[in-house]
Amino acid sequence: MSIFREHKSRVDRAASDRSRHKKKIEKAIKESIRDVVAEESIIGQNGKKKIRIPIRGIKEYRFIYGNNEINKNVGAAGQHSIRRGQKIGKKRAAGAQGQGAGEAGNQPGEEYYDVEISLEELAEYLFNDLELPDLEKKKFRFISQESIKRKGYRFKGIRPRLSKKETIKRKIRRKKKAIASGTYDPSSGERFPFHKDDLKYHHIKPKHKEHSSAVVFFLMDTSGSMTKERKYLARSFFFLLYQFLRYKYEKIEVVFISHSTEAQRVNEDDFFRKGAVGGTLVSSALDMALDIIDKEYHPSSWNLYTVYCGDGENWSADNSTAVKRFTQLKESNQLTVYCEINENLSATYDDSGIVDTAGSGTGPFDWANASAWKDEDTGALWGALAPCADKNFKRVVVAQPAHIWPAFNLIFGTENQ
Amino acid sequence: MSSWSVDELIYWDERICETAAGMGLDWFDIDYEIIDYQEMLGAMAYTGLPTHYRHWSFGKEYERTHTLYNLGMTGLPYEMIINSNPSIAYLMTENPLSTHILTMAHCVGHSDFFRQNRMFHYTSPDDIISKFKAAAKYVRELIEDPSIGIDEVEKILDAAHSIKYQVPRTPGITYKSRDEWTLIQKRMMQLDPTYHVDLEKTPFRPEYNLLQFISEHSRNLKDWQRNLITIVEDNSKYFIPQALTKVMNEGWACTIHQRIINEMEIPDEYHLAFLKLHNQVVRPHLGKINPYHLGFELFQKIIKEEGFEEAKLIREVHNDMTFLRNYIDEEFVREQNLFTYSFKKPHKYHTIDEIGDQYGWKSVRDELIKNVGLSRVPVVYVDDLSKDFTLTLIHEHDGRDLELKYAQRVFEYIQQLWGDKIKMVTEIENEVWEF
Repeated sequence: MSIFREHKSRVDRAASDRSRHKKKIEKAIKESIRDVVAEESIIGQNGKKKIRIPIRGIKEYRFIYGNNEINKNVGAAGQHSIRRGQKIGKKRAAGAQGQGAGEAGNQPGEEYYDVEISLEELAEYLFNDLELPDLEKKKFRFISQESIKRKGYRFKGIRPRLSKKETIKRKIRRKKKAIASGTYDPSSGERFPFHKDDLKYHHIKPKHKEHSSAVVFFLMDTSGSMTKERKYLARSFFFLLYQFLRYKYEKIEVVFISHSTEAQRVNEDDFFRKGAVGGTLVSSALDMALDIIDKEYHPSSWNLYTVYCGDGENWSADNSTAVKRFTQLKESNQLTVYCEINENLSATYDDSGIVDTAGSGTGPFDWANASAWKDEDTGALWGALAPCADKNFKRVVVAQPAHIWPAFNLIFGTENQ
Repeated sequence: MSSWSVDELIYWDERICETAAGMGLDWFDIDYEIIDYQEMLGAMAYTGLPTHYRHWSFGKEYERTHTLYNLGMTGLPYEMIINSNPSIAYLMTENPLSTHILTMAHCVGHSDFFRQNRMFHYTSPDDIISKFKAAAKYVRELIEDPSIGIDEVEKILDAAHSIKYQVPRTPGITYKSRDEWTLIQKRMMQLDPTYHVDLEKTPFRPEYNLLQFISEHSRNLKDWQRNLITIVEDNSKYFIPQALTKVMNEGWACTIHQRIINEMEIPDEYHLAFLKLHNQVVRPHLGKINPYHLGFELFQKIIKEEGFEEAKLIREVHNDMTFLRNYIDEEFVREQNLFTYSFKKPHKYHTIDEIGDQYGWKSVRDELIKNVGLSRVPVVYVDDLSKDFTLTLIHEHDGRDLELKYAQRVFEYIQQLWGDKIKMVTEIENEVWEF
């Protein structure tokens, strides 16, 4: 004889372990992001694209056998005729299974536990802790979105907006009063029904969301010294920046300027793909940015950001002009960034982010005086910019893909502002 | 909502129990919990146990099942029963009555197996629920303890879980104690002067229980950490018999549910549904081994050749390894169309190696045995603990190489638990490999 027990109320036993697991995934995503942000596959994608993020640490490791010739598997062939040496595809086996297709989680090769997230979600993970410095609401406001918000209660309203909570509160209040005044005896077993006056409805109000507008200038050195690797780093950095700004702003415009000895306003494609030749005049790009700001994006209406990426190998004669232009940009811009890409610098970003950007020079590595270059002269731009460096002007060094995220954090991380 | 009532379940349960008793089965009483889909997911994540300690891996398991189910890649199990006295089984509200009848008959089969199979004799089904409850409470207290907290608890559990299958696989065998062993060795040394063993050696024989050994001998663990490791070890020991008898257990339960249903003469409307479900459960999975199918077919063969009474004896004394080795023959391998295959690195694809003909069937059988239940889990044992607390672990190489990436991670986990130096040796492509 067995016993049957019906569960009256549902208990979600796994809830706490699920949220713990979720937290672990989120943590792991944040940790894997250093690798992910520099990956070719995400760069240049739009927000809808799903990105696979490999996650370490979520996997439960055990001793298992490897997938090789010594370690044989056994299967049933059902009605199919088989012979030795026959090639069997994983696809066919998987397609024919139906039930139980969930691979036993211990298959080798499944090194990572992958999570698929969209670029938008990635941005959320990445940028939640970051802030745009000095964000101002400028004169031009873009009403980009109307949302509806609940605001208070009314006695009249349509049925779907009935507030059960307020209604029952009023009924309870009325009941208490009735008991106190002796008009209702709770022990009589008589019902105490709702009254029409108890009903309360939510009141809603459309709300205009206001958004500031921003324009960001991407300035990149495309001179001969910008090798493929350097361009790749610059591109990764810009891509991340673009995603970040798009995440923070409803409306964002990007101006692409590439320069060698001459600056050119280009489209996105050309910006990242055009060949690299010629010498370097940093000031040419800065001039152009200043000119465009002057004509198209007045600082009173726009949040301005200028990010310059280059290898720092400027013509030494141009350095003083460049510094002057940078200073000018700094005045109208919310933030100006000078990002130097040079793999010769064996920069070590540790977790505390040791790069001297604010000119404080407290880091263990003296960036301002670093001369990893063969020719002392060409490195002068970094040093020459040191006096500008403050919270509106930041300098970072990116020497390898792993530096992108720390550099980025350094610019926008809230603790650095 | 549901098209059946509890009264109907009680009616069918009585009939099932009568029929099963008539067949000479002897099982634990069964408590059926009637739960919904969400709760079933929860129950599955915790391997059916109503009380289990917390760990994120169960949350992961829940999400995995949930996702697979949502994608339509897997059906929820219609049966889930745990080895306890009384046995606890789950019936899902959403299922129709015909499924419940089959499930209940199936559960009787499992419960009978739990009670009769000798692998389960030391699982103490009477108090297992309260044991798990106590463990869950202990873990919860550690998590809530401000001086410990969830992160520290997880560190130990994560590491201990990585070697949770590294426990002895021979339930029921009691080994000689150290004192007994010492006596015997001393006597042997007296009788034979050329014979010599180091009486101080720890462990004095290969120790397969890594968790226990570490929790007893590590000098770097706190008491609560040792207790946690012991909890994981107890947990493993409870599940080892089930892992050793997956094929037999499922095969037996399918055999029993089929016999019970056939004997009960159930109405046609249920019969068709039953046939459909039964065939779904015991069908072969192409390119894989379905333990339900394999066990069911083998028991059918045994019953056909040697009768039901013999089958009952077999369900008592065997485990998967001996069951498959003794009763699979050439005809069976051929009829089931079993084959072995492996990954050919140079070609980057799998090809079939052996098939069930007169030349290949033995090899197929032997590989099959290597591929069921715990035989899929590599054996690693403690060989030596030196004076400076260096632990030497050896992988018992049986022809199959370890997956090194995984092994490396597990090695790190063991190191974390042990806290002192560790040496671990295995064999990779016929060469000795030390981590």
